[in-house]
Amino acid sequence: MALTRRRFVQTVGLGAAGAAAGSFIGARGRENFIWSAIEPTLHAIPPGVICLASNENPMGPGKTVLDAVRTAMGPEARFAGRYDFGGGGTLIELIAQKFGVKTENVVLGCGSTQILRSATQLFTAKDKPLVGTIPTYEECAGYAEMMGSPVRGVSLDSEFRIDLDKMAGAAKGAGLIFYCNPNNPTATYVGAKATREFLAKVNSESPETTILVDEAYFDYVTNPDHDTHVPIAVENPRVIVARTFSKAYGMAGLRIGYAIGHKDTIKKMAEWDAGSGLSSINVLALRGAIAAIQQPASYVADERARNTAVRDFAMKWFAERGMKPTDAQANFMFVNIGRPAKEFREASKAKSILVARDFPPFEKTHCRISFGTMDEMKKAVAVFDEVLKKKPAAAAA
Amino acid sequence: MSVSRRGFLQVFGTDRSAPLAGAFIAARGLEAHLAEARQGFDKTGRPLGPPMPGEVRISSNENPLGPGKTALDAILGKFPEAGRYPFNATPLDSDLVAAIAKKYGAKPENVVMGAGSQEILRNAVIELTSPALPLTTGFPSYESPTNLAKQLGHPVREVKVDSELRLDVEPMIAAAKGAGLVFFNNPNNPTATVHGAKTVTDFVERVRKSSPDTVILIDEAYHDYVTDPSYGTMIPLALATPNVIVARTFSKAYGMAGLRIGYGIGQADTMKRLAKRKMPYNVSTFSVAAAIASLGDQAHIDAERARNTEVRAYTMKALEDLGCKPTASQANFLFVDIHRPTKDFREACAKSLVMVGRDFPPFEKTHARISVGTMDEMVKATEVFRSVLRATTSTNGRQQ
Repeated sequence: MALTRRRFVQTVGLGAAGAAAGSFIGARGRENFIWSAIEPTLHAIPPGVICLASNENPMGPGKTVLDAVRTAMGPEARFAGRYDFGGGGTLIELIAQKFGVKTENVVLGCGSTQILRSATQLFTAKDKPLVGTIPTYEECAGYAEMMGSPVRGVSLDSEFRIDLDKMAGAAKGAGLIFYCNPNNPTATYVGAKATREFLAKVNSESPETTILVDEAYFDYVTNPDHDTHVPIAVENPRVIVARTFSKAYGMAGLRIGYAIGHKDTIKKMAEWDAGSGLSSINVLALRGAIAAIQQPASYVADERARNTAVRDFAMKWFAERGMKPTDAQANFMFVNIGRPAKEFREASKAKSILVARDFPPFEKTHCRISFGTMDEMKKAVAVFDEVLKKKPAAAAA
Repeated sequence: MSVSRRGFLQVFGTDRSAPLAGAFIAARGLEAHLAEARQGFDKTGRPLGPPMPGEVRISSNENPLGPGKTALDAILGKFPEAGRYPFNATPLDSDLVAAIAKKYGAKPENVVMGAGSQEILRNAVIELTSPALPLTTGFPSYESPTNLAKQLGHPVREVKVDSELRLDVEPMIAAAKGAGLVFFNNPNNPTATVHGAKTVTDFVERVRKSSPDTVILIDEAYHDYVTDPSYGTMIPLALATPNVIVARTFSKAYGMAGLRIGYGIGQADTMKRLAKRKMPYNVSTFSVAAAIASLGDQAHIDAERARNTEVRAYTMKALEDLGCKPTASQANFLFVDIHRPTKDFREACAKSLVMVGRDFPPFEKTHARISVGTMDEMVKATEVFRSVLRATTSTNGRQQ
């Protein structure tokens, strides 16, 4: 056993050195990176299949993070067997530093999922509804329904953006507003100024209502009127900002996110999840995130630029064919394909391109497509071209 | 940070023949190591950060060896998929549910995954207790359900352990009547004692009879470390009986405490109540892969049990020789009467970098919980215990 373990450490050394010398291609190319065989038939996404279904970062977390994950395993990988009673504090300090806030303003979650659930748990009740757009990311609504809290759905405006007037109207007497900006699945973004005004309006018209601003896709926005609402959240007990390491930081598989807010709000959230950082977040995610957030600002800027180039390419391709995407400000697009999403999805899947599930009420016309690498998108549009040339089944019938 | 990390990679890359102690410091990066060493202890006395070089960390009932090689290889193999959600990665999170179900001849709907068994315990308390439906548990027992129920304002009936520090079955049956949830930790943390299969089966039958709506959660976190032949898992009983759930974890014998993965198993109707509260994507891609790989490596678990049994026997004897009687430990930790306040003992041991468990009322004036490390670690630890326990500074009765 000891020998095998030592060999493992050596292998890590070799692998790491190799990756350091080369580019990050090593982390994407499974055959260059893998140290022991994984059953190839178990692939959820088979080799050669391009997944544009889940708004993931196709580049993964990058070498810095993966090196930290390896380090987190510790000598002979023993640290993976230890509870991490310290990593949470370190990460919280780094997040606080990055945003110029105090550690009391930050709480961690097992993905931002846990943040969304905590907020729904704490701020909705049978007489305190949840308000969200239709469609939006469903976690809060699903949890509210499970709790028995009413859910008020608000339709989007004609550009598929959050309709701020309708939303403010629905907010009166609500417990929590889920404000996903950019909005998943519609990819649209409401500018920082309009959002600030919305927050102020809700605060004055419905002072007991908490607003959860989900900035999961924040790093992908290129709209010039773009700003985080963290500074408002730390001052205002009724505003919370949720962030995740799953998107631009490419760590969807590791499960880690966080919320920033007023210290009293954060305290409530932390207490509800019993200092969630300890019980639900794995040590590899914690240590990976500690490395991720210390990367130079150029890391996010580069990832944004990479995504923007692919986004421009994909949006142009659809627009040129008369299929209008919304004004995508994220790492995915929502596009009118003039036929049911299911039909398009299944035809694309048959040609090894995976796009997203249905998003009612737009499942008869629109599809959400995440952005892969430029290479993946070029392959994908070649498939889309074939699939979309055929008349929609509904029109043919 | 990035510089020291690069340093670490170079050391590993070029100095492969370095002895482990050297590799240890290199692996952490001295800077990172010092930063973490400064983190100290949390408010309950648990050390923060990974163990320092030379530290013997026997405070949290972890497997000192970490995950087995099969599990580690599986994690490394997942690096290319770190950016994928667990439902897109390979193997799928649902493959893990299927693998666990198969192991026990059950179906996927019998199994609910948790971010550690902690999530199973938490969701059981949230779902099954209320101001009108108390939690019944041992005292002392694993505190997570107790703490959460108290935080929620749900009543808690704590039943003191018996004279041998086992869960006291008769009064627990009485206290289960009308409860929403009975938490039955077997082996019991922190007292390390176990009840045999017949006792637990009878317990379940009698609670079912006197209080059929009460859900019984049997936490078998330390299952793999039990050597008492009268013991048996209650998973078959849970699958055959309404309102019985068994919780298991990969944090102990499987060595994955840092990876946060556990599960609950029981009848589909019972598990539905936990499934609806399960956090989506609660288990990471790495953890799923490591757990699936480990399930196929029973030999590793058997070897880990044998290793623990040997070190446990050694440590128990060493403590008995010092006049300190441990309970009949069936886990990877001991609960031992040290005839003085835990805090004094813990702090004295910490001076020699031997970290033992926190206070466990109502035994914080007499007992310490000591996890079983490696044999090397326990040889060192028992030397430290010897000097601490033989020291003339009897602090019995001293004000704390």
